[in-house]
Amino acid sequence: MNLKSRLVSIVWRGGILGVAWAIGAGMPVLAANANANANAPAAAPARAPAAAVSTAAPTAVAPAVPAAAPDPAATVGAAAPGTPVSDAPPGDFKTLDQEVQGMKKDVIDLNKDLFVLQEELLFPANTQVAVYVSMDVGSFFALDSVTLKIDNKEVKNYLYTAREAEALLKGGVQEIYLGNLKVGKHELVAFFTGKGPMERDYKRGATVNFDKGVGAKYLELKITDRVSKHQPEFKIKDWE
Amino acid sequence: MRIPGVTHGPVQRAIHVLRPLLCGVLLLALPWAHASGKNVKPDPDGLPPQDVKDLHYGDVLFYFYQDDYFDSITRLLAAMELNRLPNTQGEAELLLGGLYLSLGEHVEAGRIFEKLLAGNASENVRNKAWFYLGKVWYQRGYLEESERALRQVSDKIQPRISAERYMLLAQLMLRQQRYDDAIAALSAWHGAPDWTAYAQFNLGVALVRTGRLPEAISHLDQVGRMETSSEELLALRDKANLALGFALLQAERAADARPILQRVRLDGPYSSKALLGVGWADSALGEFKRALVPWLALRKRNLLDSAVQESYLTVPYAYNQLGATGQAADFYNSAIESFDAEMKRIDGSIEQIRAGNLLDRLLNDDKKDTLTWYWQLKTLPDAPESRYLYQLLAGNEFQEGLKNYRELEFMSRNLDDWREDLSAFNDMLDTRQQAYNEELPKADAVMAATDLDALTQKRVDFESRINQIEKSNDFAALGTAEEQQNWARLKRIDEYLSLHPNDTELDEMRDRLRLLKGVMYWRLSQSFKARLWNERRTVKELEASLADTQTRTILVKQARQNMPNNTGAFAVQVGAVSARIEGLQQRLTALSERQNRFLQTLAIRELELQKQRIEVYQVQARYELAAIYDKASDKPATDKSKVRP
Repeated sequence: MNLKSRLVSIVWRGGILGVAWAIGAGMPVLAANANANANAPAAAPARAPAAAVSTAAPTAVAPAVPAAAPDPAATVGAAAPGTPVSDAPPGDFKTLDQEVQGMKKDVIDLNKDLFVLQEELLFPANTQVAVYVSMDVGSFFALDSVTLKIDNKEVKNYLYTAREAEALLKGGVQEIYLGNLKVGKHELVAFFTGKGPMERDYKRGATVNFDKGVGAKYLELKITDRVSKHQPEFKIKDWE
Repeated sequence: MRIPGVTHGPVQRAIHVLRPLLCGVLLLALPWAHASGKNVKPDPDGLPPQDVKDLHYGDVLFYFYQDDYFDSITRLLAAMELNRLPNTQGEAELLLGGLYLSLGEHVEAGRIFEKLLAGNASENVRNKAWFYLGKVWYQRGYLEESERALRQVSDKIQPRISAERYMLLAQLMLRQQRYDDAIAALSAWHGAPDWTAYAQFNLGVALVRTGRLPEAISHLDQVGRMETSSEELLALRDKANLALGFALLQAERAADARPILQRVRLDGPYSSKALLGVGWADSALGEFKRALVPWLALRKRNLLDSAVQESYLTVPYAYNQLGATGQAADFYNSAIESFDAEMKRIDGSIEQIRAGNLLDRLLNDDKKDTLTWYWQLKTLPDAPESRYLYQLLAGNEFQEGLKNYRELEFMSRNLDDWREDLSAFNDMLDTRQQAYNEELPKADAVMAATDLDALTQKRVDFESRINQIEKSNDFAALGTAEEQQNWARLKRIDEYLSLHPNDTELDEMRDRLRLLKGVMYWRLSQSFKARLWNERRTVKELEASLADTQTRTILVKQARQNMPNNTGAFAVQVGAVSARIEGLQQRLTALSERQNRFLQTLAIRELELQKQRIEVYQVQARYELAAIYDKASDKPATDKSKVRP
């Protein structure tokens, strides 16, 4: 076999393999990797043309397809969604990936410890007061903002983004206020503004008197639907 | 610059599909996730809504529903540590596993799921958890773990998930080159039409890989002929036609291959390769003029495409076969120039990457405030090396590595933020200590001036006195000051009159005294009970005040003793976490550097491979050109005029 025929063979095989490696099988969802490879044509043949060359026995000049054709299995087999060569993460990747995982776990644990420390430091249980907002259903009220007054002093005025309001609707409970209060009697007043039934502007208030003891005090501002009246209802629950 | 394969291609579609699916596994943990809001569709597999059981669990969900998984998991772990989830412990554990999974912490997620799912979890929950875990492991290349998880899923699951699970298992086998296993699994599988198409395709691929082309043809042909308007399935159809066309070419069936390859859409992602294949089919049939049509069309496309690069050689090859050696030589010369220029550009890009900052440039426009498993880079910077990185960035390996690098950057910023906060905590503790030092003398002075024992004794004496008054019915003792004064005067008069019992001149006075005493006694006795009750109430109030004072005194004493200890304990804690932050930052820096180097190596390897391929093509072009010149020089002068060196 002369050099010329070998080179022709390389081109031919490169082409065949180029296509082959680029073909990704797959599935609607998880063929992401393979499909992505298929969309990006340039690098595929470079992955393995040489491997096929060694078995080539091309005819002189013409890249005659039948004679120069590499192993069909090798050609189309690579069409599998995750060819080992292209998809499987190498050892380096796995090692690094596992180290990053360990690192992330450590950082998450540290964040937890810092979160607890911060709360104990800034809002110790004997003075801590936390106010939460929850929404049940929400067919008759779309929340825009909440204003909180404790002992006639405004402590919070919170405007909701659509994303936050949606999180409340889905069942999230927002810690809207975390502060400190002395032991004794206090008054909480909450004003809710938003869109009520028929898309009308709506503003309502709710009040609760509560005793702050030596433990942390939790209060929940509950927005619920009163179906019988087709109106929203605003209550404050004192969690003992 | 957007990455085509990522932004509009199947990867992006996969992300869109995966994201809600991933949320699905998390929602398993949310039995009270309300679904009746206007904009919220209920999860058909979710459990019925319930009332808020634990405020802190709801707080975790508030962040979770905003896709803020990092805050969500931090709050969840804190709530668990502080025992604030007495009523939602089970859900919390499952949610924790889901959150770890969503943050890409598949090892930790797997550990939690394995622990939880061995217990009393419902079959539905168990199936979904194993399925998503298997899916994430598959994506990350943990194939054995993935297969183990997927095999834990029972058949009692939604048809959609069941189909995907079988397909994942089949793909796992293909990736592991277990073709016979894949063929067995796929042959036995029946499902929805879209999934069937993928199954057929994969089955065809597996059959070709095991050398069973005749059997593969029907499967691939079926996919290649399917009627669909879905872009995804159209791409699959193209892919099947391309695979079958090239398989037939390999089997020396060029005439059969050509119509199959012609089915591939010209505007689809596989059109370049199809054009190349059609040209090869024509060429194999000896129809070089006809082969020039697709190859010349291909040659006008972007040189980054390997099929286009090859067309730079196949076009002059066809001209040469047709005897148009002059045109062939021109095209070879043009190819050599183009390859030369391309290799120089690749060299320049390799240098750029070696100089560093590739990853920072890639992530420059990235929104950095989220940390999610399904993040993908969507745009490339407008830099020379970007044009070569499409392929690399569309691949799993680089994207996952880049995601890791990005996460390390996120964590580094997170630690920096905490470092600032800790500095503020230290200041606060100093201020507290200073205030304590200033207030201490005042507090001590007040404490010293307060004799609680004496006050307590006074209260005891007072109560004894009240008891004595009640016992002796000493009505006057509880009278007003004026009444007591008047009563004393009457008593004095009475004593005087007693000393002169026989003095008749005093008889009138005696009568008046009797009257006055009677009136006075009646008044005092009438109000005695009420006054006694008031006095007893006063004693009780005094007692309560004293108890309160005693409590406060104890608290003040405790605070006085504990304050330095508390402040000191906090200072110790702050110091300890500061040290942890420093340690983590060092590890982060080292790991980021390694990750950076790893990705740089991948990028450079990719570029060098591209360069090597072009080099091979260039050598080929030079060789063919030389051959043409040789041939021309051997021919008579009239023929030589065709060649323009």
